[in-house]
Amino acid sequence: MRELVALKCKQCGRVAYPARARCLTCRGREFETIEAQGLAKLLTFTESANLPLGIDERRRTLGIVEFENGVRAMGVLKVAHPQLGMKLKPSWQRVRAIDGEPVFGLTLDAA
Amino acid sequence: MRRVAIVGAGMVRFGKREGDSLMDMLTKASLSAMDDAGIGDGPVDALYVGNMAAGMLNHQTAIASALADTLNLLPAAADAIENGPASGGSALKNGVLAVASGYYDRVLVVGGEKMSSVIGPKATDMMATMAHPQAEYIYGATLPSLAGMFARLYMQKYGITPLQLAKVAIKNHNNATRNPYAHFRTAITLADILTGPQAPSNNPVVAEPLRRYDCCPVSDGAAAVVLCPAELAKSFGQPAVTVAGFGQATDTHTLQERDDPTELRAVRIASQKAFAMAQLAPSDVHVAELHDAFTILEIAESEQAGFFEMGEGAKALDEGVTEIGGRLPINPSGGLKARGHALGATGIAQVVELVWQLRGDAGERQVKGAEVGFSLNFGGMGNNVLAFVLRREA
Repeated sequence: MRELVALKCKQCGRVAYPARARCLTCRGREFETIEAQGLAKLLTFTESANLPLGIDERRRTLGIVEFENGVRAMGVLKVAHPQLGMKLKPSWQRVRAIDGEPVFGLTLDAA
Repeated sequence: MRRVAIVGAGMVRFGKREGDSLMDMLTKASLSAMDDAGIGDGPVDALYVGNMAAGMLNHQTAIASALADTLNLLPAAADAIENGPASGGSALKNGVLAVASGYYDRVLVVGGEKMSSVIGPKATDMMATMAHPQAEYIYGATLPSLAGMFARLYMQKYGITPLQLAKVAIKNHNNATRNPYAHFRTAITLADILTGPQAPSNNPVVAEPLRRYDCCPVSDGAAAVVLCPAELAKSFGQPAVTVAGFGQATDTHTLQERDDPTELRAVRIASQKAFAMAQLAPSDVHVAELHDAFTILEIAESEQAGFFEMGEGAKALDEGVTEIGGRLPINPSGGLKARGHALGATGIAQVVELVWQLRGDAGERQVKGAEVGFSLNFGGMGNNVLAFVLRREA
C-alpha cells in the first residue's frame, strides 16, 4: 500500500518502520524506500478502553502486524474476534483527530 | 570515581493532593530530605529535578530554577531532567555522577509530578505523547495499550495467568496498607478483583488482558534525596547508604521493532551494569523496588533483572518469595500499583523506600536485616531504564 512507506537497509536488508537514521542491525545509513505489501499477519493486539482525546470511541482494538515483505506496523483492527496469526487486509483510513484535524493511518479488516 | 552516599531521604504522601501545587510538593519533599540529612542552613552545591510534564500539565517550565529560588539554594547549580516516567531515575543518576566526578559535594535530587489537575482523556493523551508520534500515537496507543499487547505475548509465552497478575496487585496493595506515604492504603482480595460477583464492575478491562487493578494509579507526589561523597557521610546524622552501582540502557521506541517483543532488553542491560558496578549479584539483594506500572511488569522485570529464571517469576510470586518475609520482597512500599506513580517522582520514591529499608526505618513493612537493595525505574514501554543497587555501609 502506497501510504505505508518503510525503509530497507541497503547494507543488510533489514526493514525499518517507522523511519530511522541508522539501521537497527548494522548501523548503515543508506536505505531504499519500500511499500508495505500483501496481507498483514497479526502479531499481538489489545482491546483498549482507555482512549485519549481525539478518538470518539469507547473501545478500540489496536494490533501490531507484519506484512508479507517484513514491514511491521501498528494499526486499528476492525475485526470482531481477533486471533494471533490471522491474516488481515490493510487499508488507510481516518484514525483520529489531533487538534481538530483528521489524521489517517493503517486500519485492518478480516482478509 | 568517588563512592556516593545517600545521607537524606524524604517524600510526601502520594495520591490526589488537593491544595498542593507541584512546587509545594517539590518543596516539602526537598525540605524533608534536607532535614533528614541535617543540612540545616548549610549549602547545597547542585539541584537536580526530575519531572515529566510540568509544562503540559501545570503551565510551568524551568522548575529547577524556580525550586532553587524557593528553597534558597542560591547560587547552587540547578537542572531539570525530563525522561518520561524514568525522569526521577535519570535525575538521580545525574546527581550521583556529579558527586562521583568530584565536582560537587552536596547535591539535592528531587522528583515530582502534579497529575490530578488534568483528568480523563486529556491526561491519557498527555501520557500517550511518549509513544511514537507517527507509528503509535496517531492510533490512540497509550501506555496501558502497549502494555496490554506486551502482556498478551508474555503471558502466552510463559503461561502466566490472570490469577497471577491479580496476586501482584493483592500483594502490593497489602504492602501499601503499612506505608503511610502510599496512595492506596486499602487491602484488596481475590474476590474483589477476580472471582467475586462484583469483580467485573470493580475491575473492568483497561487494555485487555490488563484490567484496572493491573494498572497503577495516576498520582500526585514528590520524593527527594541528599547525596554526598561517601567519605563525608559520617559528618551527617544518618547511617550511610551508598549507591553501590547504577546502570542505564535504552531500547527501540516502538514495541514492533523489537526482534522479540517479550524481551525487555533495556531492563536486562541496565540491571547487569548496576550489578557489575556494585560487584554484587541479584542473589545478594535483600529487597527490591520494581516498576510495576502494570502487574505484568513486576513479573517480567523480576526475571529480566536477573532475580529469577525466565518464566519463573510468577512461580516465585505463587510461593510467596516476593512477599515481605519471603526470600526477596518486591515492592514493600506497595510499588507503583499502590504506593502510586507520580511519574517524575517515582524513580526517587523507590530509592527513598530502599534507604528507609536499609536503615531499618521502614516500620511495619520493614524487611528484616536488609543490607542490599535494588530499584528499577522504567520509561515508556521499556525504552529507557535505570537500575540502582544500594548498600548499607557498616
